[in-house]
Amino acid sequence: MIKAKNINKSFGELEVLRDVSFDVQQGEVISIIGPSGSGKSTLLRSLIGLEEINSGKLFIEGISVKKSGKKAYEKMGMVFQGFNLFPHKTVMGNLIEAPIVVKGETKGEAKKRAEELLNKVGLTDKKDSYPAQLSGGQKQRVAIARALAMEPDIMLFDEPTSSLDPELVGEVLTVIRGLADENITMMIVTHEMGFAKDVSDRVFFMDHGKIISDTVPEKIFVNPESERIQNFLTKILSQN
Amino acid sequence: MFDYILNVSGYVLEGSLVTFQLYLVTAIFSVILGVLGALGKISKIPLLESILSFYTWVFRGTPLLLQLFFAYYGLPVLGITLEPFPAAALTFIVNYGAYFTEIFRGGIESIGDGQYEAAKVLGMNYRQTMSRIIIPQTVKRVLPATSNEAINLVKDSALVAVIGLGDLLRAAKVAVTRDFSIIPFIIAAVFYLIISSVIVTVFRKLEEKYSVYE
Repeated sequence: MIKAKNINKSFGELEVLRDVSFDVQQGEVISIIGPSGSGKSTLLRSLIGLEEINSGKLFIEGISVKKSGKKAYEKMGMVFQGFNLFPHKTVMGNLIEAPIVVKGETKGEAKKRAEELLNKVGLTDKKDSYPAQLSGGQKQRVAIARALAMEPDIMLFDEPTSSLDPELVGEVLTVIRGLADENITMMIVTHEMGFAKDVSDRVFFMDHGKIISDTVPEKIFVNPESERIQNFLTKILSQN
Repeated sequence: MFDYILNVSGYVLEGSLVTFQLYLVTAIFSVILGVLGALGKISKIPLLESILSFYTWVFRGTPLLLQLFFAYYGLPVLGITLEPFPAAALTFIVNYGAYFTEIFRGGIESIGDGQYEAAKVLGMNYRQTMSRIIIPQTVKRVLPATSNEAINLVKDSALVAVIGLGDLLRAAKVAVTRDFSIIPFIIAAVFYLIISSVIVTVFRKLEEKYSVYE
């Protein structure tokens, strides 16, 4: 599904990704954890073309990202920390915009699926609201529905709950959990360790631009091998 | 007395037809020019950016009256002779286009990167992103500054009287000289106030309309 081989990315002098390689299979849920500045977000952003990698190979569903231009990204959706909803459009408008403009769907088709998606994220009654009228948790659920409206095979989540008030985190995680059960391939950058442990098939631990551990959640959370991971987890857990 | 006011008002109203025409032509084409100029300025094409920066530097940095003289009295020296109305319209369009270029550029640049990124991951191309996501949000942000320019344009339009165009002000001036009365000027002032008030109201309605989403 996703195959990365020795990818490197620097911002000027700063090496953000260093020889990162991994494979993700269809239907897998991967959580990416690690200290800030370790390259987690850059990794996701490189996958979907928001950052251009300096070297290495990246295949999405067998298509090389570099050669295909846009094609490889078409099957991916992304959810941002800051939601990035279109403020001048209603919730419904946010959901149907890309299907109509990019996929050429009719308004009727797009609306029908948008209704289903809003039902799924529990926001049917908000379809005529503008983003500014929603809570953070509601905004993020709309953002998830908007990404799903393009029917992606792969969903990328870049710290989807980091800018939410603590009491709103749960509703967003519930929606993401629901997707995991639907067999959508997902990669999630998160600081929610409990969630990562429950929902993931595998967990990547990143540090200084490298994936230093790629293993099942039990191994990382219950029995971490490296001292670096132990320290990180102790720190994170003591904050919560 | 009442008859006189009515009479002069009719005369001034005729002159204001020219003002309206100039206003309309300038408003339409300078906004189009401003949008194109702003898109050019953010295009990251160095040559285009330099040309546009030179353009806005010249036209915002010199008096509109000088530009008007240049178009009407100066260009004939170079063998280009324009009638008063085309000369005035051209000058106003290019001058206001320069202001709108800078206003719209600022508006577009005030939209955060997140909007571009969201559009990109949804598969939109540059044209779709600009026309459907960025520019509609820019409209709201530039309304107050555009409203100021729209009112300035009403008043600046009076400058065309100096190149002999029979606009609102010139009609009033002719009446003042002819009748040796100050009333035509007062009538002209009332006319300008009415036009400005209409424009202010239109922009206030627009701002209300766009305020629904924030």
